[in-house]
Amino acid sequence: MVSELVLITFFVTSLQLMVPILFASLGEILVERSGVLNVGIEGVMLIGAFTTALVGIESGSVGLALLAGFGSGLLCGVALSALYVRIGTDQVVTGLMFNILAIGLTSLLRDQLIGGQVGPILRGISVPGLSRVRFVGDVLAQQNALLWAGIALTPVVAVALYRTWWGLQVRAAGERPGALAASGYDVWRTRYAAVILGCGLSALGGTALVLSSSGGFVPNMVAGRGFIALGVVVLARWRPGIALLGAAVFGLAQSLQFLASQIDALAGVPRELWLAAPYVATIFVVVFSLQSRYPAAVGVPYKPGTASQH
Amino acid sequence: MTLAAGLAVMAVVIGALGKNPLQAAGAVVDGSLGNSFGIGQTVQIWTILILAGLASAIPFSARLWNIGGQGQMYLGAMAAAGFGITLPASWPGAVLVPLILGASTAAGAGWGWLPAWIRNRYGASEIVTSLMLNFVAVLGAAYIIRDAWPQGFAQQTESVSDNARLPVLIDSLRADISIVLAVAAALGLWILMTRTRLGFAVRALGANRAAALLSGVSEGAVASAAFALGGAAAGLAGGVFVLGVHGALLNGFSAGLAFLGIAVALAARLNPLSVIPVAALFAILRVGSNNLQAGAGLSPATGDVLIAIFVIMLMVVGVIRFSYGELVDG
Repeated sequence: MVSELVLITFFVTSLQLMVPILFASLGEILVERSGVLNVGIEGVMLIGAFTTALVGIESGSVGLALLAGFGSGLLCGVALSALYVRIGTDQVVTGLMFNILAIGLTSLLRDQLIGGQVGPILRGISVPGLSRVRFVGDVLAQQNALLWAGIALTPVVAVALYRTWWGLQVRAAGERPGALAASGYDVWRTRYAAVILGCGLSALGGTALVLSSSGGFVPNMVAGRGFIALGVVVLARWRPGIALLGAAVFGLAQSLQFLASQIDALAGVPRELWLAAPYVATIFVVVFSLQSRYPAAVGVPYKPGTASQH
Repeated sequence: MTLAAGLAVMAVVIGALGKNPLQAAGAVVDGSLGNSFGIGQTVQIWTILILAGLASAIPFSARLWNIGGQGQMYLGAMAAAGFGITLPASWPGAVLVPLILGASTAAGAGWGWLPAWIRNRYGASEIVTSLMLNFVAVLGAAYIIRDAWPQGFAQQTESVSDNARLPVLIDSLRADISIVLAVAAALGLWILMTRTRLGFAVRALGANRAAALLSGVSEGAVASAAFALGGAAAGLAGGVFVLGVHGALLNGFSAGLAFLGIAVALAARLNPLSVIPVAALFAILRVGSNNLQAGAGLSPATGDVLIAIFVIMLMVVGVIRFSYGELVDG
């Protein structure tokens, strides 16, 4: 059997690894709901992570680092929405090129500016009342504000999408852009807002990676988490609440390797098998989320005056 | 014209980084073509980029997004390492090399076919599945390197037998026969895409899916074929890495080249023939960038950044266009 300490560590890392996926998924839900597929999410997270580390190291302030990460995501959103929405380049290949650009640019700037330096990180905050509960309290005491921010943000995104006029517009832009335009709304403007805001949220996933680890930046440190978020969004059927659960599952999947390394009976299983678990799980998720259907207009650039599109 | 615009954009980017573009350009050319070592390296990267470009170009022509080139390359490399290490070292190269490269190609094709099969069978988007299979393949290679045929604690397997190494064509450049194979693959796939029913079906599906289906094209069969062909090219690239470049399977051997292959395919407008010169240009940039550190004080990653910006610019000005209802260049 495994000791309580091992289990505590397992859940602590699981929750920490859940946060980046959660922010990335919430952002991507906004983007895809508006009819845009952001394969460049991996690059957005990388740029968010790098900017967070850079500003953290230069300023020494966690708050500034966090803001900078979010801001860098918004800027990525501005650039990407210009391509995806205004110019209407193919979204898949544009996103892929953006990823190559982001990987190259962040490693280039890391070499020039920060190297292996580390900046400030977020400390765990103890929750009044919960902190004295055995086990649960021990696990939660080591979680930082970003976990709570992510959990709090989930219903906010859900309400914004389903209970506001703006959310209705966004969903219409993703399902029937022609109808939205016919009702006198601007499809492009709706999509700009969703893509920019969504990229800001996704970039916070990169921020979380940095502020919950060393405070430094490692080339390509996002390691496919943006792509995993693309799968989580399908699993969640574009609903923020289910995305929270999905992110939690992927947090657990990412820490399996640690748990397995502590169990003697599993010593013979190659560790690569556990490391592959989140990626294999993503494949199964998209295969067996049969009923989940992308918003109808995802991936199709909208051209004003072509109302026949939907 | 496009090339000039691309070079101008690159110059502006380098200027924005606070360096002299001419000096940087000099360093790139010097590093990639200035001496026989550089030329040899450029030819190697050129070979890989041709194959990686084909791996994307064929499925992309059917508007199928094969983003799994990296995984397919890894499968090819794993097959090459496995057979290269275990097959009798006494067998002649004329038997070993074709046999092993064939296995690499087949392994890449199989791994490439997998996302197409999942798509046909379950209707799941090939984007996410082909991407995820990359990580699985990379971890599989890590296992082989650590456990199956480890070379001490080095980040590589033991070496393949000498007879399995690719024959060298030009001694001074250390250039082997793989460049001939890559060019032949590009030619072969160009003929296939422009002169055969399958190639027509692939392009028809990409150009106008509804019309293609109406005229009797089977989407599932075409998707399987396009993905398997792309995977085969990537798998061959993996085999070339093991039998030619390194002589063993290395952790992280592909160094982002599989993803750069997507850029090659796009800049070549998915035409297998154009892949050859585009891959050469990008290889020069890639290898030359290694010289930027010394020559102009810029990180080697600059090459990839320039290529990505170049391709995005090509899409912005509409040179690369995924049109609806118009055949892709063939």
